[in-house]
Amino acid sequence: MPGWFSRLTLTQKLAAAALALGAVALFASPYPGTKVTLDAKELALIVGTEADHVEATELAAWIIESRADYRLIDLRTRAEFEQYHIPTAVNIPMNVLTEAGLGRQEKLVLYSEGGIHAAQAWMLLRAQGYRSAYMLKGGLDEWKDQVVFPVFADNAGPDERARDERRRSISAFFGGQPRSAAAVAAGSDALPGVAAPVTPAMPKVAAPSTPSGTAKPPAKKKKEGC
Amino acid sequence: MAMMAPFLKYGTFGEETSLVLAFLIGIGFGFFLERAGFGSARKLVSQFYLNDLAVFKVMFTAIVTAMLGVTYLGWIGWLDLSLVYLVPTYLLPQVVGGLILGVGFVVGGYCPGTSVAATATGRIDGLVYVLGIFAGMFAFAELYPWLKGFYLSGSGEALTLPGTFGLPYGVVVFAVVLMAVGGFYGAGLLEKKFAATGE
Amino acid sequence: MNPYLAGIGLGLVLLAAFVLVGRGLGATGAFNSIIAWAVSSVAPEHAQSNEFIAGYLPDDGSSPLKSWLLFEVVGLFAGAMFSGLLAGRAKVTTEKGPRVSVRVRLAMAFAGGVLMAFGAAFARGCTSGQALTGGALLNLGSWAFMMMVFAGAYAVAYFVRWQWR
Repeated sequence: MPGWFSRLTLTQKLAAAALALGAVALFASPYPGTKVTLDAKELALIVGTEADHVEATELAAWIIESRADYRLIDLRTRAEFEQYHIPTAVNIPMNVLTEAGLGRQEKLVLYSEGGIHAAQAWMLLRAQGYRSAYMLKGGLDEWKDQVVFPVFADNAGPDERARDERRRSISAFFGGQPRSAAAVAAGSDALPGVAAPVTPAMPKVAAPSTPSGTAKPPAKKKKEGC
Repeated sequence: MAMMAPFLKYGTFGEETSLVLAFLIGIGFGFFLERAGFGSARKLVSQFYLNDLAVFKVMFTAIVTAMLGVTYLGWIGWLDLSLVYLVPTYLLPQVVGGLILGVGFVVGGYCPGTSVAATATGRIDGLVYVLGIFAGMFAFAELYPWLKGFYLSGSGEALTLPGTFGLPYGVVVFAVVLMAVGGFYGAGLLEKKFAATGE
Repeated sequence: MNPYLAGIGLGLVLLAAFVLVGRGLGATGAFNSIIAWAVSSVAPEHAQSNEFIAGYLPDDGSSPLKSWLLFEVVGLFAGAMFSGLLAGRAKVTTEKGPRVSVRVRLAMAFAGGVLMAFGAAFARGCTSGQALTGGALLNLGSWAFMMMVFAGAYAVAYFVRWQWR
């Protein structure tokens, strides 16, 4: 400690310290940039255990139950979203995902057409510290295949029939209709909406359309004010 | 050096814990308010008669301390500053609200936080002041439909000084430090000049 | 205590709040939560229909008393009491100047509280929430607010000096 410093009063020492810290702070850039750190091992583990997936049928159940504890995010373009989207989804295209202001503890379910974009988005969000991001397994393709246009075997046993009834009603809830396994096997492998002759058009969104998770933001706001 | 704070927003603990922390942080808050003598209306209003500028000193020292803290912690990447809640700016109501609050301060002798501190140390006027706040807030709520327009005038965006004036964050930080230190020096001079006699 | 040291202590408490919970200090919100709870207990429909009060009622129906600020203010009370007792400054008394009666002083205190409530409501906070917290975060509205508080107080101080001298 230089001699002159120790001869100052406490107040003056504090002032000197403040000025020094302030001067150094001139060069500060306190906001986090866009660079992120990835824990490769941790992520590989999660991916391996598929802890990050949500099945299409699971999601269908959540929507029917009107659960509001998660946010369903459609990562495609606005045009694609408007043509058809899973009921209760909000449209946040990939390129604006990081600026969307999503809460880091919010449960987020991401989906895209097939799942590639959802997987990439999941990776980005996780790298930025979002702990509760999940992907819809198989994306919209799987959604159509499993939920909206489920396939039923033609000669089903009694147990299967009960399960089939449930899937039938779920499909109806979302405005879809079942396909018979034989027809699928015989006809094209393509899902309805692509090339098959008896193509039911993707149903207009009739099920609950209020975006999931909208109830939350206003409540949160008040709690953080003064 | 991973980003991990604010801890609550990174999911390190949940809402229940944050309420416990609220209580503990409040204890620290109340403790230092009273330590500074702010449980006393006379001490507080002395600021506005220029005898004792402790209000200015304490307030701005606290601001500078916390400000330097978040600046440095954000800079080294330990704190995600963008996740710290910034109260939205509604300039006109805030300006008018500030004036009213200032008047309430010298009329009543406290501000909400210090009135609680005063009540905790036995000040009856502090308690009455608290009752006044309840009455006033209730009145405000009842009158809200008529006040709503003015209340909501403004952008409601979260705005910062650096952002608004197009200055680098660090420059504003340094400017605030300079202003505070200069202010403390000036406060010392004013106190000597206007020291109350015979109190 | 040396005001600068008390200020540093306060600043560190504020910093702890930022780092731990991502928000600053406050006081006014706690009063609002209590009012929201009281009104919703006595007249729930009225509470829901009043936009201002409804804002303090959580959407999931849980009690408005489960508010961060309310817990913080209770802590404030405890911490202040502890400090006051420690310093021997705790005393049941009415702070006032020599020339004014207790009754008048208490009336002024009440009036001040009422004014303060309106001021804090419009400003979205008081000196704790806006000035301290917003000040440290370089919030534009907070700094404007802070300057106006000092302006308003200094402007009117002269006219109420009979209360304190």
